[in-house]
Amino acid sequence: MALPQSLRTSVTPPELELIASEQLIDIVPLVTMEKTAFISGAYGPLRPPAKARVPLWIAVNLKLKRKCHIVPPEWLSVESLQDKLTRETSNPGFSELPFRFAEISKVILDIASDDLENPDKIRTLLKDIREARQSKSREGISKLDHSELGLSGLCSMEINEIRPFFIKGMSVLTKLIRDPEHPPKLDET
Amino acid sequence: MVYLPPPQYASASRTSYAEAYNKILATHRRSPLTSASSIIILVAPDVDALCAAKMLAQLFKQDDVMHKVVPVAGIADLESTRDELITQTELHTLILLNMGAILDLPSSEWFGDYDPQVTVHIIDSSRPQNLATLFGAGENGDRIIIWDDGGAEKLEEERKAWEAIMLDPEHDSDEDSDMYSDGGPSGDENEDDDVDVDGDGDDEECGEDGRLGKRRSLGGSGQGNRKRRRLGRRTHRLSSEQRETYEARLEKHYMSGTWYGQSASNTVYFLATVLERVDNDFLWLAIMGLTYQYTTSRISRADYDKYHPIFYDEVFRLNPPATAASSATTSLHPDDSSIRATDELRFLLFRHWNLYDAMYHSSYVAGKLGIWKERGRKKLSGLLAKMGFSIQQTQQSYFHMDMDLKRQLQSKLEAISPEYGMVELTYPSFMRLYGFKSHPLSAADAVEAISALLDIAGGVRMEVEVEGARNGGEWFGGGKVWEAPDKVSSEERGKIALVEGVNRSNGGPTRDMTKPQGLGQEGDESEIGGDGGELEWWIRNFWTAFDALTDITRLREALSLTMALHRAIIRQGSSIIDKQDIKTMRGHRVVVLTQGPDLALFAHPGVLSRLAMWLVDALRDRTPGTVLGGSRSKRKSLPFVVACLNERSGTYVVVGVTAALDFGDTRKNEFGLAFLDAKERCNARTRHSSFDTSVLEINKDDLNIFLETLCEGR
Repeated sequence: MALPQSLRTSVTPPELELIASEQLIDIVPLVTMEKTAFISGAYGPLRPPAKARVPLWIAVNLKLKRKCHIVPPEWLSVESLQDKLTRETSNPGFSELPFRFAEISKVILDIASDDLENPDKIRTLLKDIREARQSKSREGISKLDHSELGLSGLCSMEINEIRPFFIKGMSVLTKLIRDPEHPPKLDET
Repeated sequence: MVYLPPPQYASASRTSYAEAYNKILATHRRSPLTSASSIIILVAPDVDALCAAKMLAQLFKQDDVMHKVVPVAGIADLESTRDELITQTELHTLILLNMGAILDLPSSEWFGDYDPQVTVHIIDSSRPQNLATLFGAGENGDRIIIWDDGGAEKLEEERKAWEAIMLDPEHDSDEDSDMYSDGGPSGDENEDDDVDVDGDGDDEECGEDGRLGKRRSLGGSGQGNRKRRRLGRRTHRLSSEQRETYEARLEKHYMSGTWYGQSASNTVYFLATVLERVDNDFLWLAIMGLTYQYTTSRISRADYDKYHPIFYDEVFRLNPPATAASSATTSLHPDDSSIRATDELRFLLFRHWNLYDAMYHSSYVAGKLGIWKERGRKKLSGLLAKMGFSIQQTQQSYFHMDMDLKRQLQSKLEAISPEYGMVELTYPSFMRLYGFKSHPLSAADAVEAISALLDIAGGVRMEVEVEGARNGGEWFGGGKVWEAPDKVSSEERGKIALVEGVNRSNGGPTRDMTKPQGLGQEGDESEIGGDGGELEWWIRNFWTAFDALTDITRLREALSLTMALHRAIIRQGSSIIDKQDIKTMRGHRVVVLTQGPDLALFAHPGVLSRLAMWLVDALRDRTPGTVLGGSRSKRKSLPFVVACLNERSGTYVVVGVTAALDFGDTRKNEFGLAFLDAKERCNARTRHSSFDTSVLEINKDDLNIFLETLCEGR
């Protein structure tokens, strides 16, 4: 596996992407389909050109076969992301973003960038937002303490990033608190 | 109904491409035995067929249909493939790309014996088409479908002639006087039917080419015939003049030589348009197919101009027009993969070489200026100087040339070149942008790269010039041997079992090798000498080229290979002209290559054909056209025959080209028939190894007799 040791016990980003693909998204189908039962539920019917609400994985599958167009969610637009970015940089807390925005935006940018307007600008904005939040979460980690850490507004990928370090760090701190005389060895990170 | 009219002629009663396609899908979905070998696509090794195969594969993949792409090299290969496929029970659709239009497919020799549930679709650009396949109806006929481009509508006369002759078979088999002795086997077949088949028009075709299996005999469509015989025999007797006119008609259809109609990729593109599934990738592949036909002189400039506007409109439909501010060839954003229309200069690969080289290597310029002589080279430098390019500029790689020079290049060329007798230097074509990944590539360059890959990606050592080696090259050494990047060995290909529904036919090499040679399965990768090794290289080339169709990095790498190939061709061509190696035999120009540094390279038919075309272009103005003796048309043409010795197998590869007098025009290539004729008469040992009837391999001892018979016979 190519992941560093520390991340191997947690969920990997592709797995998170898979989990995020369960979320519903709007599409404009180009083919008709009756209401069909899938393992996770029944979706459809698809009647072009009316919009339909299906899970992201169905949308991806249809899009790759050129059988639908994806309607990007409202938060995935230049204005909305610009707005979030300014809020991110001006406030000390994390701004409100959909919990799985990173996975969903990656999937949509990968396969349906022609359905977005100005995908390059969106990519740059997303990158900026990520960097802003990353700096904040780094600061937050420095306030790590043995009993709790409050970082509200973190999103799924970010939580996944922090989790191994966080867990390890907290366990070390807990041991320190209990027995300050004998600090635990720190080499097993 | 055995031929499909193109969509513009379709109506409620006449199905067209889309219905045929949907039927394939329906059969696939309903059949219980569906597997990856239910739909098999047989592909001839040329760029057009490759593009069409790629498009079809994409369409099938989008519809979740499993299929298999099998490369087929020539008639012999097709026969062995057919024998193998007849045993597979789950097969229900066979698609032939750029092969088989001339063959009488409903006959039992070809596909007549197949299971009734199998349908055979033929998408072929070569003409003439076999009339039995086009018009033959009945049980066997219905299963074989030719996708036509509208040309068959115009064959009304031929249709009447063929049907009349079919309905009224001449006499009984005792009257053999009209039949060639080849009628023997067909006579046997007919014993049951007692039908003497074929009109003599078809017979002549029998006599011509036993080898190609044209010797069929409508005995193949036996059942239909039997019924018709009972009805028709007594009532319609054709008078002998009528018969003669009909036979003359059929003869004219088959004997006037070979030419090309709409490209296969164009046909598949129309299919995709009707299904409303086109995008830039499809459009680019179709453009490549068309450009290939034009640059290899398969279609004339007039035909090219007929198809070009269609693509021009499509490009504008699918790609938003570039704004006036940006130049037509800069990418708007990093993932820009749009297609733009440009005017293409006739110089080969001129954006990848320096200007001097590009003009030097272009056959058109070479011919007009006489590049092989020192005087001609001076003329070329003179021309460039007149246009205002300094020598240093012209030796610079194109990308490093001054911007203003690039912009003025076209207008200056148009102004100055008529003085040297070069007109028509540009033709409208297309370019594809690749975002920030690489510079844009023109259609002609892409076609050149792919055909170079097909011909010589493997199997031949090509030395390629390293960039920067020229000026100050002593530091960097000479060339390096070109190698296909990440050469996936064919074993690995076999292990890639069901990648996205495309099962590569690794069955190909092993299957063909076990038959004639009895080599084992492990014979895949190792270079087993002789024919085993030879079958390997072209299949590997096929897949390398297939992959490179949509992969820009591979394409760019192939460009250096193309340049090396062209240099070799120029070298050889110039030395031929210099040494006055061209013999004239009764109006034919004949060149025989027996030695030279690149002999192994020219033993490949594709490369040899290119050399022939180059020679034709170069010598167009210096040789008077001739009217061939036995040919049908009274127009003058330039018949060229080029032969090259293949030392390893002791044979000569011979290529015949009938070129037109004007640049951009074409003539029907009569060499297919001429070769067969000559072969019959002098009993030479020959072998047709490709689908092109004007290419053959002949035993080296028979070459001289063959050439003489060929030239005197017409």
